[in-house]
Amino acid sequence: MTTDVLLEFADVAFRYPDGNAGLAGCSLTIARGSRNALIGANGAGKTTLFQHANGLLKPQQGVVRYAGQPVDYSRAGLRALRSEVGLVFQNPDQQLFSASVREDVSFGPLNLGLDMATVRERVEQALQAVSMAPFADRPVHNLSFGQKKRVCIAGVLAMQPRLLILDEPMAGLDHAMRAELLAVLDGLHAQGITLLLATHDIDFAYRWADRIHLIAGGRCTAAFDAAALPEHAEALAAARLPMPGLVELHRLLVARKLLPTDSQPRAMGELISQLNASEKDFQ
Amino acid sequence: MLIEQCAYSNRWRRVTPAAKGLFSLGALIAAFTATQPATAALVALLLVITAVFGAGVPAARFLRVALPPLGFLLLGCLTLAYSLDFAPANGGFTVRWLPAGWSPVLQLAARSCAALSALLFLALTTPLVDLIALLRRLKMPEVLLEIMVLCYRMLFVFSEALHDTRTAQAARLGYATPALTLRSLGSLTANLTLQIWQRAHDLNVAAQSRNNDGAFRFLEPAYANSRRDITLACLGVLALVLLAVTLR
Repeated sequence: MTTDVLLEFADVAFRYPDGNAGLAGCSLTIARGSRNALIGANGAGKTTLFQHANGLLKPQQGVVRYAGQPVDYSRAGLRALRSEVGLVFQNPDQQLFSASVREDVSFGPLNLGLDMATVRERVEQALQAVSMAPFADRPVHNLSFGQKKRVCIAGVLAMQPRLLILDEPMAGLDHAMRAELLAVLDGLHAQGITLLLATHDIDFAYRWADRIHLIAGGRCTAAFDAAALPEHAEALAAARLPMPGLVELHRLLVARKLLPTDSQPRAMGELISQLNASEKDFQ
Repeated sequence: MLIEQCAYSNRWRRVTPAAKGLFSLGALIAAFTATQPATAALVALLLVITAVFGAGVPAARFLRVALPPLGFLLLGCLTLAYSLDFAPANGGFTVRWLPAGWSPVLQLAARSCAALSALLFLALTTPLVDLIALLRRLKMPEVLLEIMVLCYRMLFVFSEALHDTRTAQAARLGYATPALTLRSLGSLTANLTLQIWQRAHDLNVAAQSRNNDGAFRFLEPAYANSRRDITLACLGVLALVLLAVTLR
């Protein structure tokens, strides 16, 4: 892991006006160019944390730093922050508000004050990146849930953020759409965009992320490299999360001497190919 | 919803809204210039033919969309067709049928039909998205446009929310008896009010996160052949107005 920190939360606390605690002394670091999964139960503070990262909420205590600098909450400062940190909301209907797909995607870049030609180009690129270009002139309400979700991502991509935050992007998507979204995310990561996404799915996080952050009760309870997940059984248990089934199975196979100890599959497919390659007899 | 579907699926979807708007405006002028009921009816017929054979709007759908306004028109004609007289000198209360004869009624009906077809032509061939873009180019005040955009989008969000809540209530027998229906409608209203509040707040947050500072700006769509289409529309307008003037 590189030490180049893009986003840092230092002891951030936030309480909503209705008395609900959003964050309670949360500290977290996101390295530049990494893939991060934020895992926590419903109401653990994931969305509150994301809204702080984008400057929508201002910490009542503690500091949020972006690229080493504390976030400047003036109009210009927020403008700069929000052009670098893109936030995709969980519910697409919350984010989409113009009538046609192309219009909605153009909303962010036009807010950045870019000229028409650049905006047009960026909108086309963003729509192509999420394979929604054929739908550019469709009205938003005629799209399926998965398509709306992709338009939301395009709307943020068109602003060309350096850190892309996705609030439960996989929720409500079927298997094929998840695979497509994952391909989109991999493409973005290859372009050097830092990714942070919230999920409930520990198996997915283990397979996909570079680094896993656990959040519970408005506090980041643990953060570790995804590869080191098998050693953090206690942290997982404290967050009431199960150890991925893959890890358990792999341990058993190693204990039965069917796989070498130095193998560490992160996905079921990898495990299967390792088993196929192993010369051990299963009888 | 019918209008919406049609506006997106007709043959002239790709024609610049400027041309369609111009044609529709010209048709309105023709409808007002035509003094003879027959001329106005002819203008209406020509417009319907343009919409059905030109833009490929199914005739049945055109009629279906035109029915509610036609109903209102009928009501309006009825009030013109008779007059109430309360003058005590004439012995109190009298009702007279067609005091001025058929001609004002016919004129009103034919003109209204022509104007209605002109508006329906525009509504059925041009999606609201395009119309808003056109109005923006015509320098309509931004505030009004933003309200239009938001209302349009919200219309669908709320009709969906309304439908979902109603279905959920019906699934638990919320509409089984008249008393329950009243009760369910009450809670539906209360629930929607809260949802509207929440949604408005959410939208505002989402707009801020994409760097919005108040004014909504959107990309204008580009149209091929717009000059040719506008010329054609001008010719169409000229023909309609000439027709209306010569046959007056």
